[in-house]
Amino acid sequence: MIQQRLPTGTPIPLPDATLCVDGLSISYGAAKVVRDVTLRIAPGEAYGLIGESGSGKSTIAFSVMGYLNGGTASAGRITIAGHDILTLPDRKLRRLRGPVVSMVFQDPMNALNPSIRVGEQIAEGIRYHTGAGKAEAEARAIELIDQVKLPEPEDIVRRYPHQLSGGQQQRIVIAMALALEPALLILDEPTTGLDVTTEATILDLITEIKQRSNVALLFISHNLGVVARMCDRVGVLYAGDLIEEGPTAEVLQRPSHPYTRGLISAVPSIAGELEMVGIPGSLPDLTEVPKGCIFRARCSIAIAACGEAPVPMETVRPGHASRCLRWRDCLAELNPPQAAAVRAPLDGEKRLEIDSVIRSFPGARRLPFLKPRPAVQALRGVSLDIRAGETLAVVGESGSGKSTLGRLVAGLDRPAGGTIRFEGRDVTALSRERTVDDQRAVQFIFQNPHSALNPHHTVEEIVGRPLRLYLGLQGTELRRRIVEILRAVRLGERYMTRAPHELSGGEKQRVCIARAFAAEPRLVVCDEPTSALDISVQAAILQELQTLQRESAHRTAYMFITHDLGVVRQIADRVAVMYLGEIVELGATRDIFSRPQHPYTEALLAAVPELRPTRASRMRLQGVVPRPTNPPSGCSFHTRCPRLKGDICSQKAPPTRSKASGHAMRCHHDINTLKALQSAELENRTEPARP
Amino acid sequence: MTEMIIRRVGLLALILFAVSFMTFMIVNVLPGDVAAVVLGDGASPEQVHLLREKLGLNEPVLTRFVSWLGDMLRGDFGVSLLYGQPIKPMLATRLYNSLVLAFLALVLSVPVAILLGTVTAMKRGSWIDRIISSLTAVTFALPEFVKGLALILVFGIWLEVLPGSSLIEAGRHPLSQPLILVLPVLTVAIGMQPYFVQITRAGMIEAFRSDYVRTAVLKGLPPHVVALKHALRNGVLPAVAVIGMTLGNALGGLVVVETVFSYPGIGQLMVSAISARDVPIIQSTVMIVAAAYAVGNLLADIVSIALNPRLRY
Repeated sequence: MIQQRLPTGTPIPLPDATLCVDGLSISYGAAKVVRDVTLRIAPGEAYGLIGESGSGKSTIAFSVMGYLNGGTASAGRITIAGHDILTLPDRKLRRLRGPVVSMVFQDPMNALNPSIRVGEQIAEGIRYHTGAGKAEAEARAIELIDQVKLPEPEDIVRRYPHQLSGGQQQRIVIAMALALEPALLILDEPTTGLDVTTEATILDLITEIKQRSNVALLFISHNLGVVARMCDRVGVLYAGDLIEEGPTAEVLQRPSHPYTRGLISAVPSIAGELEMVGIPGSLPDLTEVPKGCIFRARCSIAIAACGEAPVPMETVRPGHASRCLRWRDCLAELNPPQAAAVRAPLDGEKRLEIDSVIRSFPGARRLPFLKPRPAVQALRGVSLDIRAGETLAVVGESGSGKSTLGRLVAGLDRPAGGTIRFEGRDVTALSRERTVDDQRAVQFIFQNPHSALNPHHTVEEIVGRPLRLYLGLQGTELRRRIVEILRAVRLGERYMTRAPHELSGGEKQRVCIARAFAAEPRLVVCDEPTSALDISVQAAILQELQTLQRESAHRTAYMFITHDLGVVRQIADRVAVMYLGEIVELGATRDIFSRPQHPYTEALLAAVPELRPTRASRMRLQGVVPRPTNPPSGCSFHTRCPRLKGDICSQKAPPTRSKASGHAMRCHHDINTLKALQSAELENRTEPARP
Repeated sequence: MTEMIIRRVGLLALILFAVSFMTFMIVNVLPGDVAAVVLGDGASPEQVHLLREKLGLNEPVLTRFVSWLGDMLRGDFGVSLLYGQPIKPMLATRLYNSLVLAFLALVLSVPVAILLGTVTAMKRGSWIDRIISSLTAVTFALPEFVKGLALILVFGIWLEVLPGSSLIEAGRHPLSQPLILVLPVLTVAIGMQPYFVQITRAGMIEAFRSDYVRTAVLKGLPPHVVALKHALRNGVLPAVAVIGMTLGNALGGLVVVETVFSYPGIGQLMVSAISARDVPIIQSTVMIVAAAYAVGNLLADIVSIALNPRLRY
């Protein structure tokens, strides 16, 4: 039974709200994952729900669809356009899913049925809910595909999901959600996992949908930049409690809760003025919810009163409320974020030199006498070097070849041409063919810590292995060193006996880092080490990586592979921007982030959704990345370049240009022309950047 | 797709060659003199020697293999040592009988298994799931001859509605006596069932847990559309592969059932040939079963590809 209870919060009175959630509590078994959440979304309004994994934001999103999946709504009420969702029988609830409320999912590849054509996946809902005929529903599907701006809709309807790119798949999911013109559209991390350039175009599409219809949007995201760009109001969830709510700009600029404040400080920004700071501690156990403020244990300004009674929502300003007793002191008492340290290129000895490296993956052989499929040209002549103590970031969209490059350096793969020299020695070989010292000196940190640790080994065995193998440590000496290394990555001695499954994502990645550093490496290849982690954890891990580098006796160099330009800004000394297996721009971090850049770099930067308003370019890349089996002629970026010069771009390879020492980019435009083009665009923009 | 089929057929030939080589070697390298076994205990060394000469057993093993393989490729399977007749027509009738049995069992058990697998997956943990799952576990644990004998006991002896022996009169088509087929087909079908049900159930459970099924549910589609259209198509994929393999397996596995029911199939032929050391028949039947196994696999792959657009390139 669902009890009726008055909300303890202070909802904004919105009598005509599309979505009303009142005092909603949801539990899975003993865990009370959502507690007493109240929120309203008006027609045409975009409401962002933010929080880290485990905050309960997806649980709320699915419960709004009436989909609890094993959970129970122990209290509260959800009303969409007058329909009381939690009390409806299945049959009636079904009638609402699609025409009244629909959802866009994270990970479109899995959200679409792999064996049904996408047109049918859109059309079937239309047929079922409206009783339309086959032809009529398909015509409408084509219309919808056109509306989400996919080319040649008549062709797309007949495709299967695997024949579309990630961005195209997400457009199909959006078309599916819009098919019956719902009153409320829920977007659950709709761009997580997509490339930043794709993300930007999907967000543009959602903005356009919002502008032309009166649909209410519930936008779930862990990415504050995305929420800042998309939402009118925002609610912050922590461990199942709504702890702050208000207009987006106000909450993000003047947070009135220590947790919101912490989240914002953890975001790496491409503007790069402020240093990012993690939030120490971890989520509380939700089977026994503490009586007072749920964030108390991690809060640096908590007082005795915080633990005594439930903290009510207090109004900060009209429409802005915080569940903090000390919200007035929040801005004053928390340490202000510090200016980020400026990183500049170092001039130590060259530790790694990569020269004209080529790697292609031969296509599958068909029949003995037929030609094999064309080879994937993953790297087409890449040259760069990394100096001692330096962090070089390698950025680019998926398929740019950045991970392949990392694997070659680490000896996990062998190049087809070119040389890789480590400290002057040729190491163009697989790891096992290198000398033991070279094996030890080059370490790798993987993207996914969940699969990078042997589930049957304890932390002690994992971290101890390189110590025994490479350094020959044994007995008490071995143990002492393991503890020392674990402390360096902020894991105590008590973690020694744990197995990987007893660790959180952040702790697992710390173990991976500890394992890499146990070998006393002189070069560490980090392949997206934080992309699977929450931002507060990401900030802490990145800080630790920087501390380890600073304190390492060997002046460890990092090759840091990432797609996150905010992270790049914060930790890299130099940046290599890759596109289709080539470096299109390479230079000091400050030169990459200051105008003019290579048009591709410019587009990457323009695509990043920023938390704080910037006067950035609004450049968007159209079309998809060309197939790496057949890279375009001339400049490989010419098929998508918004600053195309002319036929020369498709005919001749671009020359290398430089705007500062150590900087190089490959473009047919000269530096001054690019500068003029970029300034002109910024001045022509009449409307200001989003407040 | 055609490209893949051509490649797989090539692979199939290679596999069959390997099988033929191994079978020939095993049978010929085994201790015990074929000639002596054929002639019986009372034979004199001269007689044994003569027969060895006649059978070509004094040639080197590789030479014999090549000539045997050559004969077989030309369609000459040799002459039975026991019956003194050419093997080919014997093989054809027996193979046909076995295929009838296996095919009928498959046609009976696949739809039932998919139905049971889907129902148990949808009602996972309910009493209906528990009953079906325990029943299939029990039938899986029982050996074929126990199931066969139990059926004979119930239907043949107590109820007296069906014949307990499935002998086919010479020259008659198995389908001309449908009654004698019922019990063997049932035994084989019951034997296949648990495997299919479990695999379908596992595949369907995974499909029901998938994001695309959640999408279908949240599209507001009714449960039967979600199950039949969205889950089933992906959920039966693993079962299809297994069914293809089972087809080959079934031909070899018919040995017991055919023996229990005295059904003149290829399995029974193989068993009698083994006890009589009738080497040419052993070799030929093993080759037939291996070929059936490989072809079954190929068919399963083709059906999987037809059902799964991700594999169609």
